[in-house]
Amino acid sequence: MWIPIQLNENSAEPLYHQIESQLRSLIISGQIKEGILLPSIREFAGGLNCSVITVRRVYQDLENEGLLRTKQGTGTFVAKVGDSQREIFKREAVEEALSSAVDVGISVKCEEEELKQLFLKILHSKYHSEKGEGEA
Amino acid sequence: MEQVAIEMNGIEKKMRHKMIGPIDLKLPKGYVIGLIGENGSGKSTLIHMMLKIVFPDRGSISWFGKNYPQEIPHNVRCQIGFVSEKSCSEEDNLTAEEAAEFRAQWYPEWDQMYFEELLGKFKVPRNIKLKKMSKGERRKYEISAALAPRPKLLLLDEPSSGLDPFAWKLMIDELRSYMESGEATILLSTHIVDEVKRLADYVLLLHHGKLHGIAEKDSLMDNWKEIWVSGGTDLAEDLPGIIQVQQEIQGVVRMITTDCLHTEQILHDSGIPVLKTRTLELDEILSLWLKGHLPAGMQSGKGD
Repeated sequence: MWIPIQLNENSAEPLYHQIESQLRSLIISGQIKEGILLPSIREFAGGLNCSVITVRRVYQDLENEGLLRTKQGTGTFVAKVGDSQREIFKREAVEEALSSAVDVGISVKCEEEELKQLFLKILHSKYHSEKGEGEA
Repeated sequence: MEQVAIEMNGIEKKMRHKMIGPIDLKLPKGYVIGLIGENGSGKSTLIHMMLKIVFPDRGSISWFGKNYPQEIPHNVRCQIGFVSEKSCSEEDNLTAEEAAEFRAQWYPEWDQMYFEELLGKFKVPRNIKLKKMSKGERRKYEISAALAPRPKLLLLDEPSSGLDPFAWKLMIDELRSYMESGEATILLSTHIVDEVKRLADYVLLLHHGKLHGIAEKDSLMDNWKEIWVSGGTDLAEDLPGIIQVQQEIQGVVRMITTDCLHTEQILHDSGIPVLKTRTLELDEILSLWLKGHLPAGMQSGKGD
């Protein structure tokens, strides 16, 4: 099983954290399905040019979260993701993205009201895109 | 720390032109450890001491947790594979098959099928004497023969010298699959940074016969970064692990830190935005490390 993970070496985010959050979202979003056998630690590490220490840490963390399970002698599999878990993850992902968007607003000294109007405008154009394009 | 393949304590060796040690180190079992150092830094001597080809003047070495004051017993020695920097001349007049037949007598675990498979993959020429082979071809034979008994510990002294890029890639793949079991350990002495980048879990740095420490490769990549922030050079005084500071144009300061995670955290908490981050290339990290800048949290001369 090939896992589409894209590392950004020039990010301040540690490698294990990048791998872990991408793998987590692939599992929770259902792109890697329950029961799939993940690559061995050495194979996964080789594909990313990172060390087995890093991959082992990711597998262990996600196993502790209940997203992976390891069968002795067979390997590491994707576990069942609960609906509530999926909901929490969805909300957290959106919250995180919105929060960093607001940070950008603050860094360029945007007023709260201005930001709110911008947000509503973007929201409107995204959800009613056909109409929006017609007017523009 | 996990199980240890080889441990050295207080190892010292006076060579003709240099002094090696004192060295304390542990090679953790199940990992690839890249051994880096300039020419003449003592890498080969270190490996030779692990095989008792060279005897240290002082200190002790243990193999898989045991000391052997005399010879390394045969049942332990045959679990150690070795690719020497220079090919052994005793095999010069043998073909790959003949040399393998001789070696197989010493290794009860010798896997002839695996050996044949490797010779095939590496396209090692058959029925010609080893001394008639090109340097790269001979090297490929050496690597195949070292892997064939599936040793628990593989000591590789510049294994890739002379290999073409295709054989080199194949070697990387073969060493990776050899590591799959999780039981094997590789000490890889090399000058090729890309080899360390692709294979190593740990990096061991040797400089003028002294150990500059052993670090997790990914921890080096995560922590040794160049960052650009708004402000003056005085910023560096309150930040951890800063080893270079330079004022750039328009109130921007460029710094190199060996402790990026903490540095960025402090900057973030102080409300100072980081304009840009760049991970140093492994060779940049190694050359700064060689100059005496130790990875964050590491004490000089300690092996773990």
